Amino acid sequence: MAESLQELGEHIAAATAGAVGAVQVRLDELMLETTPEKVVDLLTFLRDDERCLFKQLVDVCGVDWPDREKRFDVVYNLLSLKHNRRIRVKVATDEATPVPSAAAVFSSAGWFEREAYDLYGIWFAGHPDLRRILTDYGFEGHPLRKDFPLTGFVEVRWDDVQRRVVYEPVKLTQEFRKFDFLSPWEGAPRILPGDEKAEQKDKAS
Amino acid sequence: MGVTTPVKSNPAAEAALSRALNDELTDKGFVVSQLDKLITWARTGSMWGLTFGLACCGVEMIHCWMSRYDLDRFGFAPMPSPRSADVMIVAGTLTNKMAPALRKVYDQMAEPRYVISMGSCANGGGYYHYSYSVVRGCDRIVPIDVYVPGCPPTAEALLYGVLQLQKKVRRTGSIIR
Amino acid sequence: MSDVEIKTLTMNFGPQHPAAHGVLRLVVEMDGEIVERCDPHIGLLHRGTEKLIEYKSYLQAVPYFDRLDYVSPMNQEHAYALAVEKLLGITVPERGQYIRVLFSEVTRILNHLLNVTTFAMDVGALTPPLWGFEQRELLMEFYEGVSGARMHAAYFRPGGVHQDMPAGMLDAIEAWIKQFYPFLKDIEKLLNDNRIFRMRTVDIGVVDAQQALDWGFSGPLIRASGIPWDLRKAQPYDVYDRMDFDIPVGKTGDCFARYLVRVEEMYQSVRIMEQCVAALRTVTGPVRIDDRKISPPRRGEMKGSMEALIHHFKLYTEGYKVPAGETYTAVEAPKGEFGVYLVSDGTNKPYRCKIRAPGFPHLQALDMMTKGHQLADMSANIGSLDIVFGEIDR
Repeated sequence: MAESLQELGEHIAAATAGAVGAVQVRLDELMLETTPEKVVDLLTFLRDDERCLFKQLVDVCGVDWPDREKRFDVVYNLLSLKHNRRIRVKVATDEATPVPSAAAVFSSAGWFEREAYDLYGIWFAGHPDLRRILTDYGFEGHPLRKDFPLTGFVEVRWDDVQRRVVYEPVKLTQEFRKFDFLSPWEGAPRILPGDEKAEQKDKAS
Repeated sequence: MGVTTPVKSNPAAEAALSRALNDELTDKGFVVSQLDKLITWARTGSMWGLTFGLACCGVEMIHCWMSRYDLDRFGFAPMPSPRSADVMIVAGTLTNKMAPALRKVYDQMAEPRYVISMGSCANGGGYYHYSYSVVRGCDRIVPIDVYVPGCPPTAEALLYGVLQLQKKVRRTGSIIR
Repeated sequence: MSDVEIKTLTMNFGPQHPAAHGVLRLVVEMDGEIVERCDPHIGLLHRGTEKLIEYKSYLQAVPYFDRLDYVSPMNQEHAYALAVEKLLGITVPERGQYIRVLFSEVTRILNHLLNVTTFAMDVGALTPPLWGFEQRELLMEFYEGVSGARMHAAYFRPGGVHQDMPAGMLDAIEAWIKQFYPFLKDIEKLLNDNRIFRMRTVDIGVVDAQQALDWGFSGPLIRASGIPWDLRKAQPYDVYDRMDFDIPVGKTGDCFARYLVRVEEMYQSVRIMEQCVAALRTVTGPVRIDDRKISPPRRGEMKGSMEALIHHFKLYTEGYKVPAGETYTAVEAPKGEFGVYLVSDGTNKPYRCKIRAPGFPHLQALDMMTKGHQLADMSANIGSLDIVFGEIDR
């Protein structure tokens, strides 16, 4: 059954009546976009439909695009053992919009969603046990957001006077050296008008 | 490959010493020595190590205890319980979440206790120094006696660190409470 | 007799524990000796790898992958190298692919040796670790010969491998293979028919096929539950499609089946290694792609030619730029399916690199597996799940 990924994507889009926003096939990988309201139905369909049979939820993660209005992308990667295929489902959301939890559809989603909540702050509605999983017990903030600094805000040391581990603001002896390689000559975000060669190169690439 | 035994500084003198000890024992039935030297000898000869393997350095630590670089022959037996351990080898990255547990385990050890910081993550944060959740060196939490550098330090390097700790105890150990 | 209310005992199977396989904090609710519920607290080794990778160039990010599953470092590097190569759209030369497969199998044996022997140690057998770790030392000598480091090699890089194998290594590997078969047979003789080992592992932690699929199992765990799924056969990468090997599949899905699957996988890995060694004697050529925009020139060239010097400088400071796109690439790591979801925005730094570690969903299923078992079976279950916190916590 060597149907192409594009056909499979279109079949899914047709069969789920509006759940799928866009179908993309790039680098031999099929990608669907959907909305938070439809994602659980779409995942259930992908798990149960005869032509899909994506029985394993391999990964759920978040991606942060701070320039977008809906800054987070929740990405579900699924695997079908029977048809030996993978598929990706993307849901765009922001800090205030919860995404229904997929834990009812796939048991493995539990911890993956907890991790996405911990690292990004994406709220999963209906999750059986949504709490921090990777970061420290009293951690404030969501570390993998692009506006969270690499070194964080607090660091830890043992205080002999108080006889306990205390949290203090971060003081680095040497700052993280970040080099900006997108120099004006190479990574220019705006090509000056009148630069014909640049425009030609743009059209060609 | 492996550890080579150091050339003995004066084999004749050492042989004479052990013969003299033996003679005294068979002759009188007891040996007289300085008390703190005796206690230091006993302490360094039987330092039980708490296996505090956190990350990758833990695997090299296990390798140090296995057949090739046998730490056991130095009297350095692995002891999982802190109550009966002398040395704590902090092997691996110490995170903020783990720091209270590390201190708790250190407090549960009985004096005299020593700490070996193994690997660059335990020494100063290492590869993850700039991360938001890593303690930049376990010496922020516990006092350290020997730092073993490497990422990970080879089992041989850890062995060298243990021998250095023994030297340090011989040099600075005291029985004063 | 009046009703006596029995409360469950909540116990902390603390982060420092000889059987906890690293930093695992389990809060266990027990009814007498039977485990009712267990709640793993992870994150005690959360080092912020993914955040750090976003601030490093693609080449600088390679050593982070070594330190994830630190008992099988090169398999993780392999997944990352494949992901970046997919985005770059390049193929590794044949000799490089054979070396990668050879060292992937070396790493698989490294991992299974540690897992099988420490699992045996957890259930009480103290001899297998002593024998097994000497074999690991011999394998780590190969790591050292080829990359300079015993554990964290940073050898598989996007574009191929860093440098070719030294002369004589193929003969050394063949000699090692010859002495490995009797060693494995010795281990099997010690453990397979051992009454104590069997009593502690048979019918413990049974996972049936449906549960395995639902909980996201992969690797030896899903094969022990009866599903013949191996990424090396299903979605082959590098030269795995030319290798002739079998996939062991278990029947019962308990700890004993997982142990048997891993031991048999070691035999099959040696088979693959033999084929790779035979091929490497005839296949010649570069071990990394020739494109100077991605793979740096050799040091001798760099010291002579101006272009080589410029390429060397640009590659080791700025690094290569990867075209915008995203990919999810997975390899058959010894613990299961290790995947890298790499999002690139066209610059020289990864935009998002999500690491899908096999141990993460496996540990999630610990609660399901240990319900109704005794506390001592907890350590047998943890051992057979093959948990390593470097990859779970990242």
